[in-house]
Amino acid sequence: MGMTAVEKVLARTSGRASVRPGEVVHPVPDFIMIHDGLVRAAKRELDALGIDRLASPEKVIMVTDHEVLYGSARAAEFGAINRNAAKSWGVGRFFDVGRGGHGHLFPMESGMLLPGMFYFDNDRHSTNAGAIGAFGFRMGAEISRVLATGTNWVSVPKSVRISLRGKLKPHVYARDIGFYLARLIKAGELDLDLDYRVVEFAGDIDQFGLSERTALCNSPTELGAYGVFFAPSQALLAFAAERAQQSFTPIYADPDAQYEREVAVDIEDLEPQVVRPGGIQTSVDVSEAVGPQIGHAFLGACGSGMYEDFVTAAAFLKGRRVPDHVRLFIAPGTESSTRRMSAEGLLDVFMQAGAILLPAGCGPCNDAVVGPLHDGEVSISTASNSNAGRFGSKKAQLYLGSPATVAASAVAGAIVDPRTAVRESA
Amino acid sequence: MSDFSWILQGRCYRLGHNVPHAGGVIPDSLITSREIDPQKLVPRLFEETDPGFHERARPGDIIVAGRKFGMGPKMNGYIAMQALGLGLVCESMPYLAYRAAIGCGLRVLTDCEGVTEACETGDLLEVDFASGRFVNRTRGVELRFPLLPPALQEIVSVGGNVGWLETWWRSQSSAGRSPS
Repeated sequence: MGMTAVEKVLARTSGRASVRPGEVVHPVPDFIMIHDGLVRAAKRELDALGIDRLASPEKVIMVTDHEVLYGSARAAEFGAINRNAAKSWGVGRFFDVGRGGHGHLFPMESGMLLPGMFYFDNDRHSTNAGAIGAFGFRMGAEISRVLATGTNWVSVPKSVRISLRGKLKPHVYARDIGFYLARLIKAGELDLDLDYRVVEFAGDIDQFGLSERTALCNSPTELGAYGVFFAPSQALLAFAAERAQQSFTPIYADPDAQYEREVAVDIEDLEPQVVRPGGIQTSVDVSEAVGPQIGHAFLGACGSGMYEDFVTAAAFLKGRRVPDHVRLFIAPGTESSTRRMSAEGLLDVFMQAGAILLPAGCGPCNDAVVGPLHDGEVSISTASNSNAGRFGSKKAQLYLGSPATVAASAVAGAIVDPRTAVRESA
Repeated sequence: MSDFSWILQGRCYRLGHNVPHAGGVIPDSLITSREIDPQKLVPRLFEETDPGFHERARPGDIIVAGRKFGMGPKMNGYIAMQALGLGLVCESMPYLAYRAAIGCGLRVLTDCEGVTEACETGDLLEVDFASGRFVNRTRGVELRFPLLPPALQEIVSVGGNVGWLETWWRSQSSAGRSPS
């Protein structure tokens, strides 16, 4: 009997010929990632037990992406604790402030995370790895056991397959599909329970490059998915090969793999989506959401922080300025994206439009450590969810959209339909 | 833990489906304040639905719950259950809730389909978490459920993740791989 993609990668890393959902295995990862928000707790836990060395420090990648601009003396102190931890653990691959960017983006862009790989991460948005045909499993605080011993237990997840049918219309993006799927699943129109499932996307996916696949990895995570996977296209394999820092072997599901559920979703007639306050399952067609005046907009975060996302957004901003009542923050996901935007003149479009450039990383999407909202304020962004309090005040109203919808709305000062907004190329 | 046993004998405390961790198991304020001290958590267990629960609970009592128990990757309520010597048997738990319960060293069985129909509050139960044997002495019913996988028994038997790491590190040291 065949295996799904996640079963294959777990079999390989667990030294098994095959694995089945529900089996408990101890995979040995290709690398281990921990971000600045958890290093201090992990260090304290291991120190208290007297564990002063890691199983494989050379496998560990530390990133500073959650609080990049220290907003307080306390944050600066935590930064120092993180640097000391890297030193005492002997972690060489430490991408500190200004050195890499978002941990769920720069490893793919720089050939560190490659098709077929498996890694452990403390953070749940490690699901982004599926965009390049790899897997990253969230361990939360249990990353400490991975650091100390080199592995941890994993129950092999069940896989579901979602086939996307058709080609997106202009101004409709991968992020819109994710929002739409969330709505269908919550409403029971798609009979799927994503809790601890791996979602394999199939069907007409060759139209999607890395940034679009990354966007599609984002929303299932909010519904509990533990992994998302795209079989890498020829274009993506070429992209990975060009920058690969080591050799790699892509994985593909077997043709006779067993899925818990297989569903098909037509995306041909999809409209741009707007997620309303309270979670991504609240999405509606943009035509039902236009109108509310906004005071805050944000482009970036793990689902929409790649160079291509900023190209999309820039088309709505070129030669225009956001109105005085709007604060527009942008956080390109990686330092290299910011440099590329600068070199190509794209950054200037945002600066001329009055945007505020944040360093590569999560931006306000991590507990609003920068650019928070006050009570009653309205925001539209590309954040991972619209749950109350994500951008500071629990009484703020968070809306989400694709980079196009967010950029068009930022310029208009209110939520608008990107299909009817003025664009540079229009 | 010399008195650790995989078999618990006690009274059933039955709950329904979709009991959330915040509010349903323990007040949200203890979750957001990240309280992990068992002494502070125990008096608040089931406080919002059944005040005084902790005074009536006895070691060995079994919480039996329906589908989707304890939503959210939170551990606070499981710390309290473990400290009281309780066990948990449920029809399903979101994965991260299950993982949190294991990490706290709670004796837990999940995917026990139909268990809420096999007992009611007050019944005398005997549950072997290592084999999945579930006996309702009051009703004279014996059922078999999926056992706690051996790799996870290893964690629960030493009190959870911290105990496991401590035990592991001690074994590394005694094997001559002590820290430099």
